[in-house]
Amino acid sequence: MNATITQDMSLLHLISSASLPVQFVMLLLLVTSLLSWWFIFRKMFAIKHAVRQCNEFEDYFWRGADLNALYQRAGNAHYPGGSMERIFEAGFREFTKHQSNADLSVVMDGTRRAMRATFQREMDRLESHLSFLATVGSVSPYIGLFGTVWGIMNSFRGLSNVTQATIAHVAPGIAEALIATAMGLFAAIPAVIAYNRYASDTDQLATRYESFMEELSNVLQRRASE
Amino acid sequence: MSVMVLRNSSRNEPGLFLAGVLALLVHVVFAVFMFFGLNWKSLPPEGLVVDLWQDWSQPVQPVVKQPPLKKEPVPSEPAQQPKPTQQFVQEKSPLPEIASSPPPKKPDIVRKEKSEKPEPVTAKEPPQETQRKHELEKREERELEKQRKKEEAVIAEAKRLQREETLQRQREQEVLVAQREAQQAAERARIMDEIAKYRTMILAKVRSRIVMPPDLPGNPMTEFDVTLLPGGDILDVQLRRSSGYASFDSAVERAVFLSEPLPLPSNPALFKEFRNLNVTVHYHE
Repeated sequence: MNATITQDMSLLHLISSASLPVQFVMLLLLVTSLLSWWFIFRKMFAIKHAVRQCNEFEDYFWRGADLNALYQRAGNAHYPGGSMERIFEAGFREFTKHQSNADLSVVMDGTRRAMRATFQREMDRLESHLSFLATVGSVSPYIGLFGTVWGIMNSFRGLSNVTQATIAHVAPGIAEALIATAMGLFAAIPAVIAYNRYASDTDQLATRYESFMEELSNVLQRRASE
Repeated sequence: MSVMVLRNSSRNEPGLFLAGVLALLVHVVFAVFMFFGLNWKSLPPEGLVVDLWQDWSQPVQPVVKQPPLKKEPVPSEPAQQPKPTQQFVQEKSPLPEIASSPPPKKPDIVRKEKSEKPEPVTAKEPPQETQRKHELEKREERELEKQRKKEEAVIAEAKRLQREETLQRQREQEVLVAQREAQQAAERARIMDEIAKYRTMILAKVRSRIVMPPDLPGNPMTEFDVTLLPGGDILDVQLRRSSGYASFDSAVERAVFLSEPLPLPSNPALFKEFRNLNVTVHYHE
């Protein structure tokens, strides 16, 4: 037990004895890492939620539900609808507004534009914070590297006053400096993995929404021409 | 309306708080793993090669160290010895004084008693008393002088003893120094012998592996600087002075590499004599 405590102290000692810029870099990286993990979990939950809602709505839609009933349900503010539901709602509302007009192509164009606008808004919402993850993934190693370079610089500067230089003079300084790089990598690696994963997930959702838009416009066109 | 719904939904993003808790948990778990899971060695590993190198210097050191250890008791004893004699002197000196002071008093009383009896003869008495007084004074002076002489003799004796001791100590030191020097010289000679022996062994080994190019005119000589590793492995071979015949130079160089590992003394302290080895080979022996 004692041994573990002394070992733990040695790591803490390394961090606490680092120079001020290195400590600042470490703090920055810790905050960055916390934020990035927060966003990772947030996006994970959000994307899972969006996929589930999308599945539910598609199920419901292709089971042959009445479009008006669907619209009523989507328009209900108390009902927490998904992105696909909101796209449907925007398109159907535009379609019903234009129904008096005879020109089908104009109606369909307006419907498409309305759906596309909602789609883009929804995609924007889904992709929010992904850029933060990308930034963390690409920049935090450099921040860590900066801390390391600074720490090593300092430890070598301390070496200049010593006539007989040994590795023991520089080793602690380098070790404490390298902790900054380790922290940078610790922040960056999950962020990069999460970014790639979530980017492909949102892409998949986007294609699902787009194909649904096409299919809905087909359904609406058929219904108008009937 | 759709905008309102959108805002609502974004505000009701699922698991905001849970995500924060999970993020914290990840960091706490990682920190705990770093602190307790990994073995952070704060002590350097023991048993370095450097320890072997110190083995050599130790046999020389005891020789240097032992004499002072022997010497120390020698001065301490004499230093204590003179003191008792001085103490004796001091103790002796008050004794004679005490012994000398009562005798003059006793006769004084006796003579006073005597002098009181023949009162009428007063004219004769003063010369007698003065004579006695003179005698007493003389006696006292003599005794004092004796004491002084005794003290002087004791002091002189103590000084003589001290001088003799210092002389003896010097002699002992000289003997020790001589012994040490002799030992060191013997050691050095032994080392030089060893070095010379291994040099010839190395040269013989290299020579035995040279495939001499035939028919070179004269007796060309080539010189190589060989850098060795402990254990006799060759780190680097560099031509220092060419013989003028590339074939001869390369033959010697090949022979040097072929004779790896070179014979080295088992004592690692001697290796520094062989680290940068100069190999000189003549065409004809």
